[in-house]
Amino acid sequence: MPAESDIAVRIRTALGEYLKRDPASIEPRHALREDLGLDSMATIELLFKIEEVFDLQIPDQDLQQLTKVSDVIAYVEGRVGRPAAPASKPPAKPPAQRPAPRKKKG
Amino acid sequence: MSQRIVITGLGAVSPIGIGVAQFWKAALEGRSGISAIRPFDDLPLEAYRSRVAGQIHDFTPAQYLDGPHVDRVDRYAQFALVAAKEALADSGLRIEREDPHRIGTIVGAGMGGMVMGEREITQLYRSQKPNRVHPNFIPTITLNSASGIVAMVHGAKGPNLTISTACSSSAHAIGQALLTIRAGRADAVITVGADASITPLVFAGFCSLRALSTNFNETPEKASRPFDRARDGFVMGEGAGALILESLAHAKKRKARIYAEVAGYAATSEAHHMVIPREDGLEVAETMSLALRDAQVSPTQVDYINAHATSTPIGDAVEVKALRHLFKSRADRMLVNATKSMIGHTLGAAGALGGVACALALETGQIHPTVNYEDPDPACALTGISTETQERSIKIALLNAFGFGSNNAAVVFKKYVR
Repeated sequence: MPAESDIAVRIRTALGEYLKRDPASIEPRHALREDLGLDSMATIELLFKIEEVFDLQIPDQDLQQLTKVSDVIAYVEGRVGRPAAPASKPPAKPPAQRPAPRKKKG
Repeated sequence: MSQRIVITGLGAVSPIGIGVAQFWKAALEGRSGISAIRPFDDLPLEAYRSRVAGQIHDFTPAQYLDGPHVDRVDRYAQFALVAAKEALADSGLRIEREDPHRIGTIVGAGMGGMVMGEREITQLYRSQKPNRVHPNFIPTITLNSASGIVAMVHGAKGPNLTISTACSSSAHAIGQALLTIRAGRADAVITVGADASITPLVFAGFCSLRALSTNFNETPEKASRPFDRARDGFVMGEGAGALILESLAHAKKRKARIYAEVAGYAATSEAHHMVIPREDGLEVAETMSLALRDAQVSPTQVDYINAHATSTPIGDAVEVKALRHLFKSRADRMLVNATKSMIGHTLGAAGALGGVACALALETGQIHPTVNYEDPDPACALTGISTETQERSIKIALLNAFGFGSNNAAVVFKKYVR
């Protein structure tokens, strides 16, 4: 198994802290909603934490593309630059500017 | 049959006009009150994701109010005072000629005195001087400060209550006023909804919640667009609405002008999630159904819906799903509009200003437009939504309001027939 990037480790750690579970049990393939049980509010809280960890501001319109743990890792890698350690996935695309965000509360 | 309750006076303070006449004229013209947000002192505006709001720019309290209390209450309470004063004058109700214990005051407020609240907290931490916290801080931020001052100024000594259920606060205030009069606890209730929390902290909080529109910062008047495909969150507004609710017997005795009847109300909890509505809309449908039953009205009689419609992607779609569920094919025969398309979401004032729109629609037969409904979203398209003022003689109107904390309100208004 290829070594994980530092970014991926930090994201899984943040997720583990948020979900109060062992980060090792959180895999990149996990869907935030279906597998980890995060609703849209919980996703927003998690991203709030990730924004702080990586000193980022994630625009609302980028939320739509973040459905799996691997999406979040790729997104952050794309935003903060290619990690030094080899990642288990190909380089992330820069964030797409989507015109029609759908994720919002009532 | 329980006694009938009517509306005998209206008041409005809104981003499209102060005073009911101005508010209604602008609403019928489809004018937007949304603009680029005013800077918060030296805070970096670019760090706010949303930079549009429905602010009332030309509000000078002394123009509308006098007395030593005016400068000692928070902005939201000033709005409440102005709206209540207008509604009382409009109703002709002279409390000094009444038994004051029979006149109640019920105010809906979601956030309350946040202007002073934020200022004092900031100063405390900057100055490190707890002994310099203003003596008026507690009376101002206590959430019933508006209902207190409104009752005090007018000498209303009946039930004096504050309803705080976030965005539905003043729809519940109208409902609770209805129940209070029905129960014989008051002859009339000064019913108000008010909020003025476009403040640095609250606005930042709603930004962090990702509840606000962020795609229209360069075109503010386009940002609040309920039911439209490009809607991307609500736009914060501020203001107040007021309605004098009165028993029909009392209103008749003093030969008052009657705008409309308040016929039914329901309050429910989805018991689901603090900020996300149930996506199937069933609880919203149930709330409307209960309110109609309370009014002894069938869904087939409803002519007009003043929708909660805040312009969030999920919220608007859920509301329309609920309308389709309850009203079936009639959903496309009713007129539907969103007052928030012009004034933004005034939080605690939203239900009261929507109530003012319902009363005027029943009286005049004019249904104000829903602006920015340019590209109907199939998930919430209804035939009765229009960007133009619609004219139709209507008999039954229904007001929806839903709030954080998983709560729903619906109020039924009827055209007044002797």
